[in-house]
Amino acid sequence: MTHLQAEQPSPRNPTVSEKLRHLLISQEGVLFVIMLVSVLFLATRTDKFLTVDNLLQQGRFMTEVGLIAIPMTYIIITGGIDLSVGSILGLTAIVLGWTWQELGFPLELAIITGILSGTLAGFVNGLFIVRVGVPPLIMTLATLALYRGLAEGISEARSARGYPEWFFQLGQGEFLGIPTQLWLLIVAVIIFAIILARTRLGRALYAIGNNETGARFSGLTVNRHLLFIYTFSGFMSAVAGYIFVSRVSTTRSDMGTGMELDVIAAVVLGGTSIFGGTGSIPGTIIGVVLIQLLKNGLVLTGVTSDATIVVIGSVLIFAILVNNFIQSRRGE
Amino acid sequence: MSDALLELQGINKHFPGVHALKDAHFDVRRGEVHALIGENGAGKSTMIKIVSGVYQPDTGDIMLDGRRVEFSNPREAHAAGIATIYQELGLYPELSVAENIFMGHAPTVKRFGFRAIDWERMEAEAEAALAELNISNLDVSTKVGALNVGNRQRVEIAKALSLDAQILIMDEPTAALTESDVEQLFSIVRLLRERGVSIVYISHRLNEVFELADRVTVLRDGEYIGTHEVKNTDEGELISMMVGRTIENLFPKQEAEIGEVVLEVRNLNRPPLTRDVSFKVRAGEIVGLAGLVGSGRSETAQVVFGVLPAESGEILLNGEPVRISRPSEAVDHGIGYVPEDRGHQGLIREMTIRENTSMAVLELVSKNTFISRTRERLLANHSIRQLSIRATGPDQITNKLSGGNQQKVVVSKWLASSPKLLIMDEPTRGVDVGAKSEIHRLMSELAAEQGLAILMISSELPEILGMSDRILVMREGRLVAEFSREEATQELVAHAMMSEQLRQAAGASL
Repeated sequence: MTHLQAEQPSPRNPTVSEKLRHLLISQEGVLFVIMLVSVLFLATRTDKFLTVDNLLQQGRFMTEVGLIAIPMTYIIITGGIDLSVGSILGLTAIVLGWTWQELGFPLELAIITGILSGTLAGFVNGLFIVRVGVPPLIMTLATLALYRGLAEGISEARSARGYPEWFFQLGQGEFLGIPTQLWLLIVAVIIFAIILARTRLGRALYAIGNNETGARFSGLTVNRHLLFIYTFSGFMSAVAGYIFVSRVSTTRSDMGTGMELDVIAAVVLGGTSIFGGTGSIPGTIIGVVLIQLLKNGLVLTGVTSDATIVVIGSVLIFAILVNNFIQSRRGE
Repeated sequence: MSDALLELQGINKHFPGVHALKDAHFDVRRGEVHALIGENGAGKSTMIKIVSGVYQPDTGDIMLDGRRVEFSNPREAHAAGIATIYQELGLYPELSVAENIFMGHAPTVKRFGFRAIDWERMEAEAEAALAELNISNLDVSTKVGALNVGNRQRVEIAKALSLDAQILIMDEPTAALTESDVEQLFSIVRLLRERGVSIVYISHRLNEVFELADRVTVLRDGEYIGTHEVKNTDEGELISMMVGRTIENLFPKQEAEIGEVVLEVRNLNRPPLTRDVSFKVRAGEIVGLAGLVGSGRSETAQVVFGVLPAESGEILLNGEPVRISRPSEAVDHGIGYVPEDRGHQGLIREMTIRENTSMAVLELVSKNTFISRTRERLLANHSIRQLSIRATGPDQITNKLSGGNQQKVVVSKWLASSPKLLIMDEPTRGVDVGAKSEIHRLMSELAAEQGLAILMISSELPEILGMSDRILVMREGRLVAEFSREEATQELVAHAMMSEQLRQAAGASL
């Protein structure tokens, strides 16, 4: 009679091979396979692509998008969006440069002031979304313009440069052979992936994204959570702004323009539903890496930059189609 | 059965993993109201979807007027004179009443060589269609979105009849209606019956079956159980046919020892639906809160729970004054709230039983903010056993459960928080008879054995009378009457629920 019992759906723990299969056909698994295929394909086209030096260099370039993609994943899971991240990055960079060069702050203090301004910018987004009830799309579309305008007003079209040597350690230096900022990204990804997947905060975000009213009626502090994630988004954009300045050695008010779209593309490619309720940090990071490697690999194989954008757009659509197909088959 | 207008024989329908209908049959005579009843998942919906062409049967015959027919889509069923009015109304809110009624078959006129809609004729015909249903107070040029649910339903009925329907299928038509709308609906149904229209009437409410139907057919687990003339059967027989066992007592209320006051509210105010409300609920006591839809019962409950914080007044828990300005504070003070709208407020339907049952007690299943899946699973398994939730396991998505089992998940979420006070808003709405009596038994046990204080809101008077130790009646945002279990009767409570005007309108009938 044992085979009969086996047919009964029982609450036993899944075996290792089941877990593996489960992982492989998950959103993240499918995306990972697409990424591997792309990498292998690009590696056959040029031998400059799959080298340790090149890959580490790409890690350096993708850190800013990667850092902002973490809170963006949180926000999109709750069914919201933050379009102002690129502008917050620019505002942070300008405040940092301006307080140091024009106001004569010590550089350490200027860094802190910059990061605090960015965090405050995120907090203001959250406050209006939660207290006044402005839809996130409208609010952050407004502050996308507003914060960029502030940055331009403060900078008066001047750029700050001439930072001391130690300042470049974060953006241009290495630690144990790996770009400094990449360490930061790796640590942040691990911590915030665990927070999202395993803690009460993470559970609340999924609950809010699936049914905000239901979450509220269950006694979850919905407003507090939303205020937190928009503030967090401001903070991470600010940190990314600091890294950006440190990497390129100069401060300009147009830094981070259009970055919100790169971030959102990576998050959505990573399997986070734009309607909220599902998504994960591992998925997002695979999305970030995939886009960065495609950009770089195509340039290295001699594809013109116009054609590169076309190819990346096509890969995005293809990946999302494949994933939708597999997930809908799986849902049956 | 030769006088049957519509006859279904030997219908089988499989879905992946489910045998939804097993050799079922059903027939409708000309000009009768035929009720189709059964628990959730009994196959009622599948049956009407086959009749209306949404699904095609795997095997079996559909005979219309003695001829074998096959409907491969709803339009073919429509053309054959079968119209369906679903729970979720299929109207266009941005279009006018007339446009909705004539959607797809508007009268046209030739203008400048083009076929254009003949607006005047359409509005006139729409008025005529409504007049045939004795509806004269509806402006056909208003947008449907501006109408209340009852009027929208009337528009939908007029729309169905404008297509010359001979058979009208109504799926839970009273689920969202107020009492006066229900009365109007009943008179429309009777009017249609006199005109020879056959009506298939699906409902959870047995009293409607007895009030309205000529015959009743019972389905259970996809099988045909039987058809009876309504005048030759009674409630007990129908229930035992539906659940396959006899339910001795629909309201298994136990004698409970009434203890200290748990909740006291004094002069609670949040106009317009909560005005100067004061009452007490004691440990072990079930207090029933009765009133018409819109009388402020749910709103008052939500003031206590912090969804709609009070503008003035006091809330005392175990004698201590507390401030509740959001639901999380109510939960911290030991209040649970099983809301009226299960799918929207009570559950997160996309999430699993495990995640839902732990939703209000996340701190209890976690260690230093990390959620322990093991503890969650233990809790969910405990809930599944305690409330006999029929599910494949704790990781089943709640959306896949039947209404009754979903409601049990909501209840178990609050039981997990070991509340002192449990507010239950329409705890058995849309729940089948079997699950209903299980929820009632559970409420009774919780009050009698654990001394839980329960405030129960219900629109069903038998439930209010059967379960409550004390009954409060609200009208227009105020508490207007209080009855003890002994003195309360259906007439007394109903009378208190209605305003002066309504009472006059009802006249001598009460």
